[in-house]
Amino acid sequence: MNKTLLGYVPDRSPIYAIHPFVKLFFLLVVSLFPLFIAAPEWNFGLIIFVLLLMWYSRINMGIMRIYVPVAISMASIIFLAYVILGGYHPEYAQIGQLLAIRVYWERIRDAIVVYFRILPMIVMMVFFLNTSRERDVIVAMRTLRIPFVITYVFAMALRSAGMVIEDFGIVRQAEQARGFDTHGKSLPYRLRKYVMYMIPLFALSLRRAEEFSNALIARGFAFTGPASKIKRADFILTHYHFRRLDALLTAIIGLAFVALLVLRYGFGWFTLSRSVFLPWLETLLRHR
Amino acid sequence: MPPIVEIQNYTWRYLHADVPALQDINLTIEEGSFVGVIGPNGSGKTTLAYSLNGLIPGQYQGIKEGTVKIAGTEVESYRPGELPQMVGVVFSDPEAQFTAMTVEDELVFGMENLGLSIPEIRERLEWVTDLTQLKPLLEKPPYEISGGQKQRVALAAVLAMMPRVMVLDEPTSMLDPMSRKRVFDVLARLKRESHNTIIVIEHNLENLVPLADRMILLHNSRMALSDGTEAFFRQVDTLTEAGVYPPGGIAFFHALMKHGAFAGELPLTLDAAVARLEGLMSHE
Amino acid sequence: MATARARSKLTTDQIWATAPGEKRQVGVIHIVITALLIGIGFVVGAFGSISFPLGFGVNFFWTGIAVQQVGPIWFGIWGVIAGTIFPFFSNAIAGTPFYVSAAYIPANLIQALLPAFAFRFFKADIRLNSGRDFAILIGAMVVSSALGAMWSVLVVLRSFGLLTTNSIPLFLWGWFGGNVLAGLVFNIILLKALSPVVIRSTAFVKRWLA
Repeated sequence: MNKTLLGYVPDRSPIYAIHPFVKLFFLLVVSLFPLFIAAPEWNFGLIIFVLLLMWYSRINMGIMRIYVPVAISMASIIFLAYVILGGYHPEYAQIGQLLAIRVYWERIRDAIVVYFRILPMIVMMVFFLNTSRERDVIVAMRTLRIPFVITYVFAMALRSAGMVIEDFGIVRQAEQARGFDTHGKSLPYRLRKYVMYMIPLFALSLRRAEEFSNALIARGFAFTGPASKIKRADFILTHYHFRRLDALLTAIIGLAFVALLVLRYGFGWFTLSRSVFLPWLETLLRHR
Repeated sequence: MPPIVEIQNYTWRYLHADVPALQDINLTIEEGSFVGVIGPNGSGKTTLAYSLNGLIPGQYQGIKEGTVKIAGTEVESYRPGELPQMVGVVFSDPEAQFTAMTVEDELVFGMENLGLSIPEIRERLEWVTDLTQLKPLLEKPPYEISGGQKQRVALAAVLAMMPRVMVLDEPTSMLDPMSRKRVFDVLARLKRESHNTIIVIEHNLENLVPLADRMILLHNSRMALSDGTEAFFRQVDTLTEAGVYPPGGIAFFHALMKHGAFAGELPLTLDAAVARLEGLMSHE
Repeated sequence: MATARARSKLTTDQIWATAPGEKRQVGVIHIVITALLIGIGFVVGAFGSISFPLGFGVNFFWTGIAVQQVGPIWFGIWGVIAGTIFPFFSNAIAGTPFYVSAAYIPANLIQALLPAFAFRFFKADIRLNSGRDFAILIGAMVVSSALGAMWSVLVVLRSFGLLTTNSIPLFLWGWFGGNVLAGLVFNIILLKALSPVVIRSTAFVKRWLA
């Protein structure tokens, strides 16, 4: 696996045969799908689909461990927001009581719907981050003809984020080499230490800004004047070719989205009333 | 032909500084020469480097007197993006000058800024990676290569723009001896094969001296000494007063000179020193 | 040292005013500063989002506020651009849905813009040398975080159907408190510690662009 700023990407993967634009297009378009799908089983199916894509792309599935706390935290918050703080609704069907809190079926249903809308978006982001090297993102942006300055600022931002992480790691290592460890220390203490990291990290970044600028100017980069209007060769794009497969995949993704909209608004698919899972769950909860 | 670098009565004081960083500098450098600039810390070496490529006064606030001309034109008269085509600078910190996501992108960046076409870029890329032996590293991200490799990349990135003047500001200060040697091997090859003017600011003299046609000493913001390399190192007292110590071989033969045991040209390389010593011993 | 004495002599007016003959113009350094701030914010913001999450990118102690508000105070519009953009990426890394992060942009814009505006409009000293300077900073932090919370929670999260009416106060106070609390800790320390250095740098922006 290769460590890049965006995550761990496989050394070899069939996904690299696909043009970076297609991956970005997939992320942008397919992330919209859950917004139009209320029935949770469909969104669950979308999660499985993306997980299968991740497996096919030879991503180390263990990477999902990092996002388990996020998923649990998200579930807790949604449960809290919808069920515990759901309010008093006599028009809803009460299926239980937690101490003084009335638990309504509709609130549980809404919480599940929201949760299964959020999860596919997170999984898609994880898929994107774990199959995209920084260069892929730059190529996708240049393919979309996003102005070079914007693309380059983004590239520099990725680069500088990497440097900040390295600096942070070095400071931590130096502390540990001196026998210092925040493990087991109180939260206020850890916060105080964290604050003290910020100052040198900021100071280093300020110094780097000057050096970076000098380096850019030394390479002939100009933000104003005639030199800034020169047509750039975009050499990086010569490594990537938009093939028939890429065009086909782009078309499939686009058509899938159109089909989703037609089915949703034309035929009422993916709505709560058409869900198979929710009535089953409601029955289960009522008769427990 | 006019000199490629012409500095006349140049003084530069940074804003908020009490004393000038450079005072009354007068310097001409002919095209195609290899010049070494040495001096203690704070003597103005980096300020001189930045003055040559327009970073001073372009990026730094201060007070300037005198003129700094590259190819007959005052540096301030060049428009943004023009001067780097004439003067390329390699800085001392390899980390700070790597702004791309891969080695190849870094090498190509400057050429794209010049508006070169893809075939031209390919040709120069081939040349520069061969010169600096960077071909195996092209796809690597910057955080995966060593300091020495980074510095070769920085050198190659500037070379690819084919500037008439290359200024290297302590390019090996953060490198180990092997990496340092590799960088100077590239410079040696450049000196043999191209007509670039090369100005190297260095503390480490062992690798610099054999290549330099001329040496300049900066001390207390002024140009204390400027001469051909061999004549430069005869003035050891001036050098040591400024806190600069010649390479071992030169210092040894200078000591022999002082004791009357040697007369003649100072050997500038270790091999030349060994050969000269063997010659002396065989005469005895 | 003479230089340090010269530095400390700068009055508040001198910090913001352009001296006669002083030329200030947009340069490469400003682009670089924008990029570096996005990079720092990306890391610091993601740390806050992952470490102290409430949900949907709302945190009860968001460390990214330091970059979002101090950056614009020092670097004008360049800091505002960075402060508006970086939360999009730091939230994405921390698992906030893509479109929710995009919809937060106006909130991030107001949180970045207001402190920078307040300091310039009221000519406050970025070194926080008086009670007035502190009051302007805290006032700007409170107002901007309140507006940001209202946009994010009332407009974004409700529009996406992610919250119930009864849970709104939790998220409102979470966003507001998470920003103000973290701001009180980080913004003050950064401004006090680093403003003297920033003032002397070429990147410092006196007006909005240069």
